[in-house]
Amino acid sequence: MVDTKAEGERAREEFLSETQELVDGLGRDVLALDELSKAGRSDPELINDVFRAVHTLKGLSGLFGAAMMSGLSHELEEVLDDLRLGRIDLTQRVLDSVFRAVELYGLLLAAERGSGADCSAQVEALLVSLGEVSHRGRAGGASPVAQYELDPGLLGVLTEYEEHRLRTNIQNGMSLYKMRVQFPLATIDSALDELKAAARPHGEIITYLPTGGGTDTDAIELEILIASKEAVDVLRRELTGSRVSIDEVPRRASTRTSSPPAMIPRLGALQPESFGQESRTQVLGEIPRAVVSPSLLPPVGGGEISLRSVSQTVRVDIRKLDHLMNVVGELAIVRTELMAVADRLRGRSEMRPLMQELLRLHRSFERHLGQMQGGILEVRMVPLGQAFEKLARVVRQLSREHDKQVNLVITGAETELDKLIVEELSDPLMHMIRNALDHGIENRDERLRAGKPAVGTIALNAFQKGNQVLLEVEDDGRGIDPKMLAETAVKRGLLTADEARDLPAREALALVFRPGFTTRDEATDFSGRGVGMDVVKTNIGKLGGVVEISSDVGIGTKVTITLPITLAIISVLFVEVAGRTYAIPLASVEEAIIYDAAATRTFEGRHVMTVRGVTLPICNLARVFGHTTSSPPPHGFVVVTSVGNRKLGFVVDGLIGQQDIVIKALGRTLRGTKGFAGATELGDQRVALVLDVGALLDEALAGHEGRPTDQPGALSS
Amino acid sequence: MLGKRASANERRTEYLAFMLAGDTYAVRISVVGEILRPPPITEVPRAPSPIIGVVSVRGKLVTVMDLRRRFALVEAPIDAKTRILLVEIGEGEYVGLLVDEVLSVYRLADSEIEPASVLGGEQPAYLLGVGRPKEQKELVLVLLDLRGAIAS
Repeated sequence: MVDTKAEGERAREEFLSETQELVDGLGRDVLALDELSKAGRSDPELINDVFRAVHTLKGLSGLFGAAMMSGLSHELEEVLDDLRLGRIDLTQRVLDSVFRAVELYGLLLAAERGSGADCSAQVEALLVSLGEVSHRGRAGGASPVAQYELDPGLLGVLTEYEEHRLRTNIQNGMSLYKMRVQFPLATIDSALDELKAAARPHGEIITYLPTGGGTDTDAIELEILIASKEAVDVLRRELTGSRVSIDEVPRRASTRTSSPPAMIPRLGALQPESFGQESRTQVLGEIPRAVVSPSLLPPVGGGEISLRSVSQTVRVDIRKLDHLMNVVGELAIVRTELMAVADRLRGRSEMRPLMQELLRLHRSFERHLGQMQGGILEVRMVPLGQAFEKLARVVRQLSREHDKQVNLVITGAETELDKLIVEELSDPLMHMIRNALDHGIENRDERLRAGKPAVGTIALNAFQKGNQVLLEVEDDGRGIDPKMLAETAVKRGLLTADEARDLPAREALALVFRPGFTTRDEATDFSGRGVGMDVVKTNIGKLGGVVEISSDVGIGTKVTITLPITLAIISVLFVEVAGRTYAIPLASVEEAIIYDAAATRTFEGRHVMTVRGVTLPICNLARVFGHTTSSPPPHGFVVVTSVGNRKLGFVVDGLIGQQDIVIKALGRTLRGTKGFAGATELGDQRVALVLDVGALLDEALAGHEGRPTDQPGALSS
Repeated sequence: MLGKRASANERRTEYLAFMLAGDTYAVRISVVGEILRPPPITEVPRAPSPIIGVVSVRGKLVTVMDLRRRFALVEAPIDAKTRILLVEIGEGEYVGLLVDEVLSVYRLADSEIEPASVLGGEQPAYLLGVGRPKEQKELVLVLLDLRGAIAS
């Protein structure tokens, strides 16, 4: 039993990831269509691609029982079909609907994964508007059939001709009636003919179906749909018979349909051709969950999933890459131990040739290991453009919402980052762009008055600098006034009036990163979580990066995110603190110097050391981590670290050495513990924690250093 | 879940029993992924109290909690009988729980489980009940919902 379950889950995972890819590609193509349309051009190939993608989505979602996605795909496919066959034009309205559909796909996928709200109302709304823009919709307004409360199962088995007759009758102002009649099986043919003859002067029989009911085993009950301009009483009088009941089909209260009408002909393609009761009640709202096994080929209805073109790329489960990375990490440990063996041979002259051989092999091993490491890292790297695309859509939507014209300029989309980082960047970037649009960019009039071009610009730049990647979100809006920030901080009790007055502009700007600091009502963000810039900062911090902000009033604002290129492998400096080993990311280390007790002092509660004439704040890691040592520690070292333009020296007992390590995330349970970016495995199953320099810096420089000390110059301070 | 045994008509659930500070506890065996001898445990400074550190299990980092700390029991140093139970807390992530000694697996029928209230007064929600296996009449197993106990 476990096997089938695991298989089913695997298949579902595949469905989700394949669908995600399709939706991503769809998003890109639709954006491209939008650009072309703005330039007054069109690309039939592109439209075709979009159509095919939606077609595939329709098949996939139908197979996996994703009812809403399937319904949406049906309707969208029809519109796209109209588009590519030239039945309708690519108007703004059509584009908007398609954009909205892409958005909803995203939401539906999230819901499928279990993280997302119910969006059935939004899907319904879109289905109605898609119905309206489609050719069928435009030809006759909103589909007339939708106005009646007809059993979707019944609609599902109408032939095209019957559907056409139904529509025509409705358009001609006829009323619809449902007639239930029981016929003895023996005489059903002649009885039915009689009924048809009797009904003909009063109206038209659209269709009839067995209901599966019936009081006798040798009677069959049929449900007959009749269109007539006569009142129900007349019909009841004229078409009598035993066990005949006639009811009018009521109109719906609103024009909102719960089962989109334009899907009718397609339903025929998906449903098996049987008139059984069970199949009739299966509508796109309730597609049976297919039992999935890997050998199951594309769905009932024959060849509806098109074969995708063979591409040069492979989709990889990132966990497999993590595993490979682990193996490389183990190999690195082996390499170190090999080196240690070579060292042991060093002293023995008779072992010399052997030692040299070993060293040579070690060097070769190291070279190839490095290449493998690099290769795996490269596989994890994806271009930032992935995160940027979604943003382009958001900007488009937001600028329409706010009625501000904004141009989004992107450079460096090809800059690559570890996939995990790129995924985590979407939310913070979204938030920053929202900020720029909400608070930064002024509306048209204000801009013109200020002598700026009517269309605002938000620039998204990404570039690599050393072993870091910089991301800038820059706008030419009204900028942030440090004085206003300081005032707000005072109002919220974060600062005293004196502190506010003496605050340098740069630190005032940094106030936006304080928790609880929002100058306006920050509603929940795109994904429904409440966020502030402080959350952005924390999340970027978890990725090992930093956020900084600079601004000029009236000119614009720039937010800069600095990130390490990869989460997976970093260079660290191993240090010893109270008998334990810790790792400090080399990216943050400027230098390591000898601790000089004579040069230290306590200054306003902070401990500092004078280094080459400059005052450096220091902090004792043993103390910060609560490691009490019984014997007075030896003279130690100070590892000078810097983040942004702030510096801090960590006092440690010993320096062990530099190494490239595979860094691993601490689990969810440790998420709240500040100060650690992760951990790495040393040889023989031991683990060393990797410091989160940024967080420790914040802590130390804010003055929370642990127990205060009295004696300047003592190491235990 | 077990299939029905020929002799008993009741549904039986397997529980893994272990010792903590002299008392016997048990958890459904389905939540226990693995039982390990404790590898070197690296302390994580400033972590919440029940967390005693992290270990590496075949390359994966696992946070280790001391259930004795969690339940405010008497702690003893790690010895040869100490074990770590790996429990999945969702999304493929595991937490290790330090216990003094692992006993055996008991198949408890519903009739062998008494409600937590027999322990007296208000008990936390993660105390599912008390198991009294028929084959060992003197044994009292405090049944825990491990995931509930961890989520603190």
